[in-house]
Amino acid sequence: MMPFHDNLPDPLKAACIFLFLAGTALCSAQQRATEGILAFYDFSEKSGKVIKDRSGVEPSLDLEIENPQSVSLSEGVLRVHRPTRIRSLKAATKIRDAVSQSGEITVEAWIHPANTSQSGPARILTISKNTTERNFTLGQDGNRVDARLRTTRTSKNGMPSTASSKGSLKAELTHLIYTRDLAGQSTIYINGRQTGRKSISGNTSNWNSSFHLSLANEDSSNRPWEGSYHLIAIYGRALSADEIGQNFRAGANAGSTELLARIRIAEQSRFFHREIAPLMVQHCLECHDTSSSKGKLDLSQKSAAMAGGKEGRAIIPGNGSRSLLWQMVADNDMPEDREPLSQREKASLKKWIDDGAHWPVEMIDPLAYKSGPNANNRFVRRLTVPEYIETVRAILGVDIAEQARKLLPADLRADGFSNTAYNLGVDLKHVEAYSRLASIAVQKMDVTKFAARFSSNRSLTQKPMRAHIAKLGKWILRGPLEEHEINTFRGISTAVAANGGSFDQAMTYILEAMLQSPRFIYLMEKQNKSSTPLPVSDHEMASRISYIIWGAPPDLQLMEAAEKKQLSDPSVAEQEVRRMLADPRAHRQSKHFAYEWLHLERLKHLNPDRKKYPAWNNLLADDMIAETIAFFHEIAWQEKRPLADLFNAQFTYATPRLAQHYRFAREQNNSPAINTGNASGRKGLTRYDLSKIPSRGGLLTHGSFLTIGGDSASMVTRGLFILHDLLRGSIKDPPPGTDTTPIPSSPGQSQRAIAQVRINDKSCGGCHQKFEPLAFGLERYDGLGTFKKFDRFKNLLREDGELVLPGDAKRIAYQSSAELMDILAGNERVAENITWKLTQFALGRPLDGPDIPVVKAIHALALENGGNYPETMVAITLSDLVRMKQPENALPGAK
Amino acid sequence: MNHRKITRRTVLRGLGGFTVGLPLLEEMLTTRAHGAAIKQPVPVRAFNLFFGLGIPAPLQNEGFRGVLEPLKPLSDKLLIMRNVDQVRCDQSGLNAHFDGASGAFTATAPNGSAKSGGASIDQLVRRAHHPEGLPGNQLTTLVAGTFFRRSRISRYIHSYNPDGTIAASMQEKPRDVFDRVFGKVTLDGNGKDEKQRRLKRSVLDAVVDQYRHYTGANSPLGQTSKSRLKDHLDRIRELEQRAFARENQTGKGAQIPPLPPRSKLKHEGQADPGGQGIDMKLEELTEEWRLMADLYAMAIRTDRVRFGSLTFLAAGERIRMTGDYHYEGRKIFSFDDARQLNASGDKGCSHEWWHQFSEKGENKALRAHAHMKMNEVAYFLKALDDKDSVETNGKTILENSLITISTESGDGRHNNVKRELSGVFHAISGAGGRFKTGEIMDIGAEGIDVYNTMLTTMGSKERLGPEKREHTAIEGIRA
Repeated sequence: MMPFHDNLPDPLKAACIFLFLAGTALCSAQQRATEGILAFYDFSEKSGKVIKDRSGVEPSLDLEIENPQSVSLSEGVLRVHRPTRIRSLKAATKIRDAVSQSGEITVEAWIHPANTSQSGPARILTISKNTTERNFTLGQDGNRVDARLRTTRTSKNGMPSTASSKGSLKAELTHLIYTRDLAGQSTIYINGRQTGRKSISGNTSNWNSSFHLSLANEDSSNRPWEGSYHLIAIYGRALSADEIGQNFRAGANAGSTELLARIRIAEQSRFFHREIAPLMVQHCLECHDTSSSKGKLDLSQKSAAMAGGKEGRAIIPGNGSRSLLWQMVADNDMPEDREPLSQREKASLKKWIDDGAHWPVEMIDPLAYKSGPNANNRFVRRLTVPEYIETVRAILGVDIAEQARKLLPADLRADGFSNTAYNLGVDLKHVEAYSRLASIAVQKMDVTKFAARFSSNRSLTQKPMRAHIAKLGKWILRGPLEEHEINTFRGISTAVAANGGSFDQAMTYILEAMLQSPRFIYLMEKQNKSSTPLPVSDHEMASRISYIIWGAPPDLQLMEAAEKKQLSDPSVAEQEVRRMLADPRAHRQSKHFAYEWLHLERLKHLNPDRKKYPAWNNLLADDMIAETIAFFHEIAWQEKRPLADLFNAQFTYATPRLAQHYRFAREQNNSPAINTGNASGRKGLTRYDLSKIPSRGGLLTHGSFLTIGGDSASMVTRGLFILHDLLRGSIKDPPPGTDTTPIPSSPGQSQRAIAQVRINDKSCGGCHQKFEPLAFGLERYDGLGTFKKFDRFKNLLREDGELVLPGDAKRIAYQSSAELMDILAGNERVAENITWKLTQFALGRPLDGPDIPVVKAIHALALENGGNYPETMVAITLSDLVRMKQPENALPGAK
Repeated sequence: MNHRKITRRTVLRGLGGFTVGLPLLEEMLTTRAHGAAIKQPVPVRAFNLFFGLGIPAPLQNEGFRGVLEPLKPLSDKLLIMRNVDQVRCDQSGLNAHFDGASGAFTATAPNGSAKSGGASIDQLVRRAHHPEGLPGNQLTTLVAGTFFRRSRISRYIHSYNPDGTIAASMQEKPRDVFDRVFGKVTLDGNGKDEKQRRLKRSVLDAVVDQYRHYTGANSPLGQTSKSRLKDHLDRIRELEQRAFARENQTGKGAQIPPLPPRSKLKHEGQADPGGQGIDMKLEELTEEWRLMADLYAMAIRTDRVRFGSLTFLAAGERIRMTGDYHYEGRKIFSFDDARQLNASGDKGCSHEWWHQFSEKGENKALRAHAHMKMNEVAYFLKALDDKDSVETNGKTILENSLITISTESGDGRHNNVKRELSGVFHAISGAGGRFKTGEIMDIGAEGIDVYNTMLTTMGSKERLGPEKREHTAIEGIRA
């Protein structure tokens, strides 16, 4: 931040000078920080006695002027001439809720004090009950600012207070900011410059929810303040120094227009994602998506939907009544031959069009809206079994993998991954295992040596033991301990002492308790109870990054960066992410992703019909897994190629057994494969150059994928997998009564010919044409992935085809499986889907509608930098999905 | 069949004096053996009993003359409900078996591959009667089953929390149920050394303190997360109960059922090789299922469990069954699915008989499979209806409990036989005289209204389905 001279007469002017020097033309062009805002007052009212909260954050916290004769309102300034009280109409609960959980606050005020003699301190802003009970007060004490914050370590009156330096407050237009961060740093800034600082320890969980917010006086009306208010903002987080400078430069007149516009757009986007897109998916897209587009109306794409169909414009933004879409729906003419929309859905549709038909995404992605409301409630996430093992290893330096895998129940897949938070529940077996594993881990380690890392003091007495627990706990539980936690663990050392135990025994039991703590077993974060996204704390960010990149806890360096609050700086966070990506743990985590994404576990249980496949050897299943993992690893790390190359890269890895299964040897006679030596993993795994073997190349030619179709190499199953898992497309179930028993091949009739019959059928073709052609290019691979040109009836198998990709009406022809792979590798949706899957795995939850724009931005940023695995991970970890904490949805019925 | 039925008498007689440190005896004493003296009130219980693939509507219309025959001996204790639709579970684009399996007992479509759209009946009844949780010596919920297809959790788990997540982990082998209900918890260092036990206790106290904090009023967590940690806390309390049970609870008489033999059937990943189905002999299946059913019934009789679900074969189950099926001394059918279907892999599984159902056809194989399923459903129900299951009010557990029996109903409309899953089937027990029994009733209503009527009658104020929906009470089912 640029320094400012104390003697500048007009700080606004100074700010403009600064901006001019910095090459910025207009003061008003400077944007204010908006993340985490809770209440905002710009005093733009022309008259009346209510001052509106213009933050847009519900519930609104409007203020009422007790005695309007004591104030004047004009041009965005509220002048307080005589003592009065300007009090919120209801308790400041939303501020209390946010601050009590975040432990952070920022109060910003552009004010002009009437004089430098008022004291008490005179209340500029207060959230309190009377002169002795408060959550927070920002006051004037002569020519100083005084801030009182209630925590578990300060008094009910918020004492000791934090004060600015003597003479720092003048009777002129002043920008005043108070911040308190989670680490307890309480800071006052005047005109962008720090003028007071104190450490205020404790937490804010004891804030009273019944106190009102008041300006210009104490709630009990006996500490008046006089002067002018130009702007007041309250945030549920500590703004960074850069943001404070940014707000200062934005000036006292940075009113609410821009803020409101942004909030309105955000609200409309939420409405679209929650109400409109799901409604379209459920009722409209069956007939009006890009490939069907009945009546030439495509309601899945923004531009096409706005353009309308054969009957003209379907949507007239701002005018529901004149919109054909609304008219048809209102009269129950649409959806045709289906249940009409409910009254609530109709009302939502009308409101959306009347409000301007805001459409925040280019295309409605049906899969993102399949789940109902609350589908993605944010859960604390239990560590998966591999994460637990790695966490114990990293934190304590002991390996309990074997015991953990034996004692802990396996994590089950949900929505494609086994780290999906909502499905990571606990059973008695878990709890028993955590207890036993804690004992096992502690028995394996040198407790004396470990404890000495945090303090050389081996006393069991109160003060040194508390300090020891605090340091030890911060490392094991991935962030600072709160007082109540220290008390809890201290209780164990007391019990040990009372039983004549030693320091080492105390440490042993404390470690056991910490290893069973919810903060160890779960990825715990203080959740966002406000209605606006908030940035995660630095320690939370450290854990998010490390579990995403490594599947393991933060290391010392990352913890230190969190400790210094550096991770909220995106450039520092990026440096850390890049450092971590160079660590072998990042490689291991990427393999874990590939294993889960492609469901390679399935191969462990492959059990083909031995009559049909007499040569099958169960070891081939492991070879297939090894092939895919080694291939993924080389694309992701050795060559750092765009991830879309997974679909057509011209190499693979195979054991001699797998090479024989693939008949590489025979093909080598015509197009010699190049054995380039061992890559990694399974014994005998060798790299093969496939550039001269047209039948192979890319994931879809791996046995690990081709076995998905079962013994009969089902085109339906393979096609559906490509559609769902690679293209994120969706398809309806077969109509009622359809006999889905597949027709077996016979002389003169191959599977391709049978599929073509389905596609040509009037009632089946609409859907089957969307997915079966995706598998046409794979007809020459049997159920176990062996390449054949003829089936057992001597029917010639084909590899040409024509496909339609989701979101595109254009048919694309291909002549060979290699061409099909090139089409997929070159398709933007395929590439984006890999980012989508990586993001889902990173977050440990399914993605939904509101995530779409962020995932698109992640993908675009990754592509700009090469589209490879490391760059995609950088883009994910720096995105709002990781950096910000979304509000937790209310859960009906949750206790 | 080698399986010997586990009765409460078997348990009380004691087999080898095997003792465990768990508060089993006290709960056992509250039921009939000593119940007459103690006169404990009959507890409220609710269980969901699920069987896979359903019974096509036309076969239901045959009443007890057809595939429902095995339920006939229990007919006066059941209300069989026909013509119940699950239209709201029929979601376009999702697997019908999966939709319907989630819909059974919840009346809501799934909300993720491992979530239902909302709570199941048993869980809402539990919440109504135990808002603060069950005593630590009881399992909150027991979920168990004999099943093989597992591509999606909702195919086989049928107890759900209000947020749609599973209410308890699945116990899929008899030994799992045994361990979960009767097993001894082992904690390292929790031996006879009193000092060590005390310190171990202090560790557990510290752990409990933390979970209490994160589930209490000052928790920084949201509702969803608190609820997740509350489950964890409940499990810790259960662990405490078992690990630190008083010595007098490990004395004479606190015997447990014999340790069940290891399962001979395939489980976990091996049981579902990519949806291709597995080979199985009828005897192997029924032997394991009956052992499972006995253990589950034993858990109820000893009052270790009051809520939960039990599954006999998953939604969309794929088994290539072989073996002769006899019922009451007469041979019903010789199963040999793969040969009879002339197919291998998934297409040689009994599931295909449902695809091939024809209203005008004989449907011999399907009938035999459905009959066999009803026979096994009846086996479990009878285990709660024998003389060992008579409670202090003179009625059996089956009569006193709410046991809902259903199946997947994904295509929604029970009476559209063109649909693969026209076999929406519902039956309930009387729940202590709350519901009519001894009838086969044509309901003509949606499942959600039937379920909510059941909930109201069971004293729950919570409802299934959309909050704003106007519910229609189905008075005809109330006693």
